[in-house]
Formats: sequence, structure tokens, C-alpha cells
Amino acid sequence: MNIEELKQIKVDKSVDARGTSCPGPLLAAKKAIGQIENGQVMEVLSADEGTRRDIPKWCTKKGYEYLGTVEEAGFFKIFLRK
Amino acid sequence: MTLALFSGSVDKLTAAGVILGGAAAEDMDVEIYVLLQAAFAFKKENALVNDRVSEITDKKDDFLASLKRLGTPHWTEAFKTAKEMTNVKIHICGFAGKVWHGEKLDDFIDLADDICGIGEYMTSAEESDINLFI
Repeated sequence: MNIEELKQIKVDKSVDARGTSCPGPLLAAKKAIGQIENGQVMEVLSADEGTRRDIPKWCTKKGYEYLGTVEEAGFFKIFLRK
Repeated sequence: MTLALFSGSVDKLTAAGVILGGAAAEDMDVEIYVLLQAAFAFKKENALVNDRVSEITDKKDDFLASLKRLGTPHWTEAFKTAKEMTNVKIHICGFAGKVWHGEKLDDFIDLADDICGIGEYMTSAEESDINLFI
């Protein structure tokens, strides 16, 4: 998905992990993914550069669809579909 | 993953906690063997007050302040979170326990599951794809 599509996407679950450092955002994503249904979309807010690279790899391993990342001021919005 | 945890210093225990977090995110089974100096850190009376670091010791205060600034959980919290999220078993080496005057499981923090011998570590290491010594 491109940036404009991601900005418009309906998010079913938002996880704000900006206050944590690695591996906090990844663990927050892991905890939250159990709270949504298959096909639903989750965004993870992270200020950690490493998480931006970790989430796509984690999605591949766990069979989720990584949709893309939007860079905001001082943090990232990372989107995935369960 | 099998982790031979030898270190009793917070820098290395914190690194172990980060790696455990990664393992938990992937639902990996983890066996931890608490060896010599790590058994000191796992003693009930030491776990939270022990602030030894093993490397770059002249910058210890800066290191510990940075952990706080970054919101890094204490290593015991990181271990606890990993245990809640995936299958992590923590075994205290019986010999290491005795070195630090810990004879019973109850002498160690609640994260510890049992006291074991080195044979179990060898079996676990043989069966694991990932083996770490920290």
C-alpha cells in the first residue's frame, strides 16, 4: 500500500508503544494481535527505529500481512493485517 | 532456544531480557540454565538491589540512567513478560545455587522453575537450534 492509502485505511486496533524501547513495541504488537480478528487491521506506533524493521519480518514469520509504514514527526505508524 | 546464563551483572541480564523478548514475540520455546554468577542475581535478596555491571564499568551510572530514561524494564520484569508470553523454563544449576548459599528453589526469585544438573543443559543444548552463552 502507498502512503496515501495507508493514511486513509480503517484501523481496527491501535497500539501506542512510543514510550517503550526495543523489544517493547514488538511485544505490544504481539499482545494486541490476539485481540483482533483475522482480516482486521492494526497500527503500531513506535519511536524505535529497529521496530520499523522488526515488524515486517515478524509479520512474515507469523503469517500476517505487513501493509506499510508512515513516518510521522518522531515516530512511525506501522500497519499490518492479521 | 537454549540460554546458558552465567552473568550476574545487570548489563548482560538486560541483554538477555531483550533477546527473551524477541523469542517471546515469535512464540519460541526457551530453556534458561542459570549458572554460577547468574545464580547470585537470581537469589531473592539480590535480584532487585544488585546493580553490578560487567563491562564499561566506569560509565555505570550513565548506563543505568539511560535504561531508566528509555523506559527499559528491569531484567526481572523482562524475564517475567517473556514467561507470560511464551514457554520459558528457568533452571537453577544446583552447584551454582550452593556456591551462593541457595539450597532450595525457594531461595530464588519466583521466576525460577526448578533446580537441575548439567545433564539437562546438555540435552537441551543438543536439541536447540539456537544456543547462547551470556
